[in-house]
Amino acid sequence: MKKVTIYALSTCLWCKKTKKYFEDKKINFECIDYDKQDEARQEELMAEIKANGGTGSFPFVKIGNACTQGYDPEEFEKLLGNK
Amino acid sequence: MNTEARKKALRFLFEPLADKLGYKFTPVEEDADFLLEQEALLEAETGIPYCPCQARTKSREENMRLVCPCIPFHRAHYDAMRRCWCGLFVHKDVTDPDKLRQFPESRMGSR
Repeated sequence: MKKVTIYALSTCLWCKKTKKYFEDKKINFECIDYDKQDEARQEELMAEIKANGGTGSFPFVKIGNACTQGYDPEEFEKLLGNK
Repeated sequence: MNTEARKKALRFLFEPLADKLGYKFTPVEEDADFLLEQEALLEAETGIPYCPCQARTKSREENMRLVCPCIPFHRAHYDAMRRCWCGLFVHKDVTDPDKLRQFPESRMGSR
């Protein structure tokens, strides 16, 4: 099973929906709430997100070595290798 | 002002702005309520009702592009999705927001 990491904002509706999507599928994931980190960690995380083609828009989801931005179940399935 | 009162005030303030931009509040009331609440809380914390789904930076100029309703700053992207990034607003002709997909600006050409 590919490792799933969700970069989220605690205030973001679509981050919550993304977490629920993986929970419902019983797929384990790590979730990092960007806005709950200290400033230094936020800078590290944003550099990581940008290096993987992301921006400051959340959710940002890493599935294996691939990344996607936004709540997009079709894309999640594709990256999980289910489509 | 308490959060509930501020949510109502933000709704009152945003509605005519969104209307002029060709958008309306999402008809999914539960989503609109959650998003307005987050914005009211962000406003209480920072003084500004920022988009709850986009991260602020140290740049005031960049952060101003995240003030709700942020539609004018991301017009082509949002028009392509037919919704704003957080989904508080959808195009006026949208009746079922669940059918809309949220995708990054970088994938606009492939949709």
